[in-house]
Amino acid sequence: MNETVLRVADALVKAGSTFSDDKIAAYERAIAKETDDKARWVLETILDNARAAKQNLGPLCDDTGIPHLVLEIGKNKSVSGQMLGDIRLGVAEGLRKLPGRPMGIMGDDKKRIDQSGGLDPDSAGVACAPILLRETDEDVIRLNVLMFGGGPAIRAKTYRVFHKHDVQVVLDEIVAWATESVKQLGCSPCTLAVGVGRSHFEAASMMLLAQVEGRYDTQSDMEQEITKRVNESKTGALGLGGDTSVLATFMKVGPQRASGVRIVCLRPCCCFEPRIFSVRLD
Amino acid sequence: MTELTTPISDGEIAKLKVGDTVLISGYILCGRDAVLPRIIKMIEEGLDVGCDLRGQVIFHTAVSPAGVGPTSSNKLEIESSMIPLSKAGVKVHLGKGALHPETISALGELNAVYAVIPPVTALLGSKTSEIRVLQFPELGMEALHLIKADKYPAIIAGAQGRSIYE
Repeated sequence: MNETVLRVADALVKAGSTFSDDKIAAYERAIAKETDDKARWVLETILDNARAAKQNLGPLCDDTGIPHLVLEIGKNKSVSGQMLGDIRLGVAEGLRKLPGRPMGIMGDDKKRIDQSGGLDPDSAGVACAPILLRETDEDVIRLNVLMFGGGPAIRAKTYRVFHKHDVQVVLDEIVAWATESVKQLGCSPCTLAVGVGRSHFEAASMMLLAQVEGRYDTQSDMEQEITKRVNESKTGALGLGGDTSVLATFMKVGPQRASGVRIVCLRPCCCFEPRIFSVRLD
Repeated sequence: MTELTTPISDGEIAKLKVGDTVLISGYILCGRDAVLPRIIKMIEEGLDVGCDLRGQVIFHTAVSPAGVGPTSSNKLEIESSMIPLSKAGVKVHLGKGALHPETISALGELNAVYAVIPPVTALLGSKTSEIRVLQFPELGMEALHLIKADKYPAIIAGAQGRSIYE
C-alpha cells in the first residue's frame, strides 16, 4: 500500500469517528444554553458518544455513510489517473478499517434498485460517489472525505425557487424546507448544508462545498438568520423539543444567471454530520 | 430513571409515561424495514420466529460490524409493523422519529410503548453483547437479530395514547 492509499484510509476513518474542535465547541454552547432537561441530556449523550468514538477510532453512527470526496488541486499541481485509483483504494481500505457498515447492494441495475441482489458482506463494497474536483489558490493537493448518512438524504431537497428579485424570498423558502425536514429527521440537532446554483448539479456541488468550507464559529448574516428561525420551531434534539434544532448553517452561493429562478439544495445534516476530514496528498 | 429488563410485564408498561427516561437491559430483538414485514407474515402463518415475543423489545436497527443505532421508525414498513407485533406481545418499539397519531393511539390500546434512543453507536458498543441471527440470515445486517443489551438509554415518546411530539 502506498502513501496515498494510507493517507486516504486514515482520513476516512477520522471522518467517520471524530468531531472537529469547532463542532465540539458548538455542542458545548448548545448544552450551556439549553433549557429543556431531556434535550440537554440528548446533547450531552451525543457529545459523550463523540468522545468514545474518537478514543476508539470507531464509527460515530452505525450508518457509517456513503463516501463523498472533494479533491482540491493547486495551480502547479497535477493529478494522475494513478492517484485517482489510489484514492479509491484508500477509500476501500478506510471502510474496512472503520469499519463501515456493509451496505453495498450487489447485482444489475434492477437488482440494485429493488435490493434483490443481496448485500455485499465487505464494508469496501460501498462505492464512493463521483469525485468533485475544485481549483485552489493554495499550492496543494487536498482531499476532503465526507461521509453521507441515509437519514439526511431522505429529507434533503433540491428544487427551484422563484426569487422575485428579493433574497428574503429565497431565505424564507430555505427556512420553510429546513423546519419541516429537521422535524422529520429525528437525528437533530442538525447542521444545515445549503447550496445555491444554476442547475441541480451545481446546487448539489455547492451544498458539498458548503460543508468543506463551513465553520461553526464563523457564520454569515444569512447563515445566522436561517439557524435562528429554524430554532424558533423548538423541534429540539432528537425532535423531543428544546432550544437547539440546528447548531449552524453552512451556505455556499455559486454563480447565478439572469433569470427569475435559483436552484437550491438543502441537506439537513444529522447530529454527527458533516462527518468530514481533510488530508493533503502532495 | 426506570430500569426495564426483558421480558417486560404489562404492569411495568402501564406505569410508563411520555417523557420518562428508561434503561433497557436483557435480550432484545433487532430488525428494520427489510425483515419486519417477513416477521409479520411468519406470525400470521403461525410460524415460530425463534423467540417468545411476549414482553419483548424490538430495536429498529441493523446489526453490523459498525455497531447498532436507530433508523427512522416512521418508515412505512417499520411503523406498520408495530401494531401486529404489539398484538403478538412486543411491549417496547425502540427507534427514532415522530410516529403517526393513529399508531400512538393503537399502541396505547395494546399497552405497548414507543421509545426513542439517541443514535449513539459508539456508546452502545460497550453495552451490546451476545449477537446472533434469529431469522433470514440472507438479509445480512438487516436480518432479525437477537442481542443482549445492557442499560440502553431511551426516552418514552409514545405511551397511553400520548405522544411526546404532540
